[in-house]
Amino acid sequence: MVSGLNNLIKKEVKELLRDPKILLGMVLMPLLIFPLMGSAMNISSTAVEESVRQVSVSLMDMDRGPMAQSLSLAFRSMNVTIIETHASTVDEALEELQQTNIMTLVIIPSGFSKNLTLGLKGNVEVYSVYKSLSVAEGVRSTIVDIPINVFEGALIRQAISQAFPNRDPSTVLDPISVSSFAVVKGKVIDVPPEVLRSLFLSQSLGFPMVIMLLLISAMQVAATTISIEKEEKTLETLLTMPISRLGILTGKLVGSVVVAAAGAVASMIGVNYYTSSIFSMMPTETVNLEALGLTMSPLGYGLLGVVMFVTIVSALALAIVVAAFSENVRSAQSLVGFLNIIFIIPSLVLMFADIEILPYPFQMVLYAIPYTHAILASKAAFMGDYFIMVRSIAYISVFTVAVLYIAAKIFTTEKIVTARISFKKRGAMKALFK
Amino acid sequence: MNQAAIETASLVKTFGNIIALNGLSFRVMQGEIFGLIGPNGAGKTTTLRILATLIKPSSGSAKIFGFDVEKNPSEVRRIISYLPEEAGAYKNLSGWEYLVFMANFYSLNKQDGQAAIKDAAEISGLGARLKDRVKTYSKGMNRRLLLARALMMKPKLAILDEPTSGLDVVHAFHVRHIIQNYVKTYGVTVLLSSHNMLEVELLCNRVALINEGRVIGEGTPQELKYSHHANNLEDVFMEATKLG
Repeated sequence: MVSGLNNLIKKEVKELLRDPKILLGMVLMPLLIFPLMGSAMNISSTAVEESVRQVSVSLMDMDRGPMAQSLSLAFRSMNVTIIETHASTVDEALEELQQTNIMTLVIIPSGFSKNLTLGLKGNVEVYSVYKSLSVAEGVRSTIVDIPINVFEGALIRQAISQAFPNRDPSTVLDPISVSSFAVVKGKVIDVPPEVLRSLFLSQSLGFPMVIMLLLISAMQVAATTISIEKEEKTLETLLTMPISRLGILTGKLVGSVVVAAAGAVASMIGVNYYTSSIFSMMPTETVNLEALGLTMSPLGYGLLGVVMFVTIVSALALAIVVAAFSENVRSAQSLVGFLNIIFIIPSLVLMFADIEILPYPFQMVLYAIPYTHAILASKAAFMGDYFIMVRSIAYISVFTVAVLYIAAKIFTTEKIVTARISFKKRGAMKALFK
Repeated sequence: MNQAAIETASLVKTFGNIIALNGLSFRVMQGEIFGLIGPNGAGKTTTLRILATLIKPSSGSAKIFGFDVEKNPSEVRRIISYLPEEAGAYKNLSGWEYLVFMANFYSLNKQDGQAAIKDAAEISGLGARLKDRVKTYSKGMNRRLLLARALMMKPKLAILDEPTSGLDVVHAFHVRHIIQNYVKTYGVTVLLSSHNMLEVELLCNRVALINEGRVIGEGTPQELKYSHHANNLEDVFMEATKLG
């Protein structure tokens, strides 16, 4: 027959995966929700792009001069369809606009060409019709800016050429050229800084996000494994079986890790699809990370694996400690929900900022939270800073041992049976120690 | 000489200011069916939980076949099985899977393990329903499954808290028959608590009356009836606890 621990792990996994709440919420939901979100955003952004591509502008040319014709040509050259209106007043033209799908009216008042020829300012009126206040409308309303800017640029260069016949107009317009170089790990890298910036952004957003998702699901699973035993009144029987209390605790931890890993894989597949849907809309430049020395070394991978392992074990042990005090699944999940804040805060903060630039007291608070070190270690893995990784492993391990010790204490004493915090009516929390 | 299956001496258990057991002492001999009876809050479940190694006594001692429940809980757990009053089985497992899971905790060879599970299937009387998930079972079916689990390993001591709670007359009769049969066939010792006086009278060789955490009377049902000049255990209970 199977050994006690194996028996318990097998049962934990089987039962958790058969629980519709866990299976749906943790495994199937991320697989469905994220791709659906990505697809929905993809469809809507494609629709916005399409609507912008097919944009038409109603033009009321009251000037009829050569400059107005050049501006009209600039519109056409930028693929903007021009529909000339025969209205005689602005109100009439706007009224006409309401009957069509055209959202922009451009008016070139009389005197436009004359003013520009005399060296005065030429005026163009642009009316944008808003019907639904959507993003697509916002983008469409700016579509006329590009041809106007192109036309304006041509006028400026013409004026510069006339004033300084022997100079390249760009030396007047843009007299200083800046050459940017990025230095990473002591090496000068020939990559545009904005490309590197977006790369760093995706790295710094990605890992904390994954850690956050993984920990949230793992803790919910671990809390459920304990609280469901209390709710379904199976714990007392289990505790009288010939298996040590620490064996039960280990079984619960391992079972939770297995199910949480399934959830994390599902989340990662889902998030990956979601982000690839989002990023597929953006123009990207391919960067060879390996050539830049920005890939993780085998040692980095190994250490990151250790970081993830101790982080997950500590989170699970923490969830089990909390769940040991709850009477049912709902109260366990609520209590664990409060705990989520200790890794949501570092994840969110470190997605956008480096810890060193934060105010000193806030830095100290973040450093005290073990999960901050998991994120710092993930960043350090890319930069090959193994000292930070080892320091993180040490800190999280100490915390993990402390939490495991508390969990083991609770399991080996009668507290696991008698201690409970229940949510009474009107959300008041009451501690009951029988 | 017959060995003592249970020996408790001056058991005290307090929960904060509440005194649940106040010097409880009794002895159960091997092969006996021993009943604990008493009003709600008398300390029956607390006693059973101490003997099942779930909670520890504040003072006093309790031994199961010579093993101290505080000092040797692992040894105790190997020879007992405990059926709590409000027990459940894992809802997302089938009845059969539940029995297999529980049997797997005992280091049995494959043959013995399967024999125990087969035995349990028979005790439960659930037949083909054992293949269904526990969440589809009625309260009575659930109780029969749990009782089968408690008896299938033929423990030296079965601690049963209200074994027939929630069962109809037919199933309660069936369960009582199984308990009696088990004691006869396998020499299992049974300690049970019950509110059903008829059940206690029919099943138990000896009975302890508990009130306010103390034993206030002990003996065979006949002895208790005789000493309290009562016709049945219910009258004994009312007279002894001064609730009548």
